[in-house]
Amino acid sequence: MTSISKQDSLSKDLVHRVLLGKKQFLVTEDEPLLPQLERAGIHIEYQCREGYCSSCSIKLLWGQVEYPFEPLAWVHSGYMLACCAIVKSDIEIAFFHD
Amino acid sequence: MSYSTFNRKQFDSMKEPMFFGENVNVARYDQQKHPIFEKLIEKQLSFFWRPEEVDLSSDRKDFQQLAEHEQHIFLSNLKYQTLLDSVQGRSPNVALLPIVSLPELETWIETWSFSETIHSRSYTHIIRNIVNDPTVIFDDITVNTEITKRADSVSVYYDRLIEMVSLYNTLGMGTHHIPGKGSVEISMPTLKKALYLTIASVNVLEAIRFYVSFACSFAFAERTLMEGNAKIIKLIARDEALHLTGTQHMLNLMASGKDDPEMAMIAAECQDEVRNIFIEAAEQEKEWATYLFKDGSMIGLNAQILSQYVEYITNVRMQAVGLDTCFSTKHNPIPWINAWLVSDNVQVAPQEAEISSYLVGQTDNSLDDSDFDDFDL
Ligand code: FES
Ligand SMILES: [Fe+2]
Ligand SMILES: [Fe+2]
Repeated sequence: MTSISKQDSLSKDLVHRVLLGKKQFLVTEDEPLLPQLERAGIHIEYQCREGYCSSCSIKLLWGQVEYPFEPLAWVHSGYMLACCAIVKSDIEIAFFHD
Repeated sequence: MSYSTFNRKQFDSMKEPMFFGENVNVARYDQQKHPIFEKLIEKQLSFFWRPEEVDLSSDRKDFQQLAEHEQHIFLSNLKYQTLLDSVQGRSPNVALLPIVSLPELETWIETWSFSETIHSRSYTHIIRNIVNDPTVIFDDITVNTEITKRADSVSVYYDRLIEMVSLYNTLGMGTHHIPGKGSVEISMPTLKKALYLTIASVNVLEAIRFYVSFACSFAFAERTLMEGNAKIIKLIARDEALHLTGTQHMLNLMASGKDDPEMAMIAAECQDEVRNIFIEAAEQEKEWATYLFKDGSMIGLNAQILSQYVEYITNVRMQAVGLDTCFSTKHNPIPWINAWLVSDNVQVAPQEAEISSYLVGQTDNSLDDSDFDDFDL
């Protein structure tokens, strides 16, 4: 994680909504989307969890995410890497096969 | 135009395409057209490991206690992986170095291929440790029809590209009549098409073909069997995840037209062929699963579950290169595999008999061996 996000205590308290089909989850900016969705019981495919294998690529239908470091994997437009993206606004996601 | 090991022309390599531009002259990285390839190099170097670091003494005992049909599963997968890494340890160099035009990509190709030679050496390390006569296993790779069928599919695109590039280098453009082969048309579009299909087939090799074997290795380890082997497979899987990203970048850059506009047209033209390369490989891997389990399944895995996994992972890999997925399987039928595939696990697997270079790499270098005494290994 970048030191910037650690210092910025305001952003830590921010909570955003994640829409996935008919489900809705609340996530923070403290960590990437993947572990937060896993704790909510959602299975997302992953392998490296470090942004270099693209296995966790999911559709980002709208909303904003940011990467604390530039992932090595290719990120197609309209997609995001769940393992390393920090959610920065309310977002809607979908799995590529939906 | 023949290949030159040090091209004397002056040109701006920032304006060259990835392939089929000028031969690289100065190996310089101060300016890079596609900096991603240097990032891949750095990551690959940080992954460096040696097979000898992994202790396989308990694997020998485990192997002797496996049922015969389980030994068949284990050895067949090792043979198949040996084939795949034999190809990968040389072919990126032989096929791609003569036509690459960017220094950072040239060095990535060499770094990538070198890491495959570590994989190859690790199979000898494993086989030496579990059987008395490795010859029997290695010799079977070139005669076992289940393996040789696969050898044809993984080498055909490479071989065609290599042949076309050598005709291009010796005879130039045109239609050449080759004894035993008929006429071969050499033009920029035909060369680029051969290249694009080759990269797609390599992506399939590294991103799909390895995974049946990975799943079996980890299924043994879930039963605390062949754990040294699983540790090596984890290290190989970590490297392969990086390699597949390398070919995904090449394919996506080509298709985007950002690198070479002509390549974008060729990529669009080849879409159906590339889809078929993915689908055909998936079908072959499903057949392979059937061959593995012909005499019996293993706990947690059978041909049907593995086939579903092949379909699932093929979908994941297809969407990563911008293709529509082609199988209806929407869920990973063996989600436990991901916990084995994650790189983090390489340093914390509780059953580890010794410290991997990965862990050493993550640790303060000033530590000496005694600092590890407190670790419960
Ligand atoms: S899990 Fe590898 S890129 Fe996200
Ligand atoms: Fe390999
Ligand atoms: Fe590889």
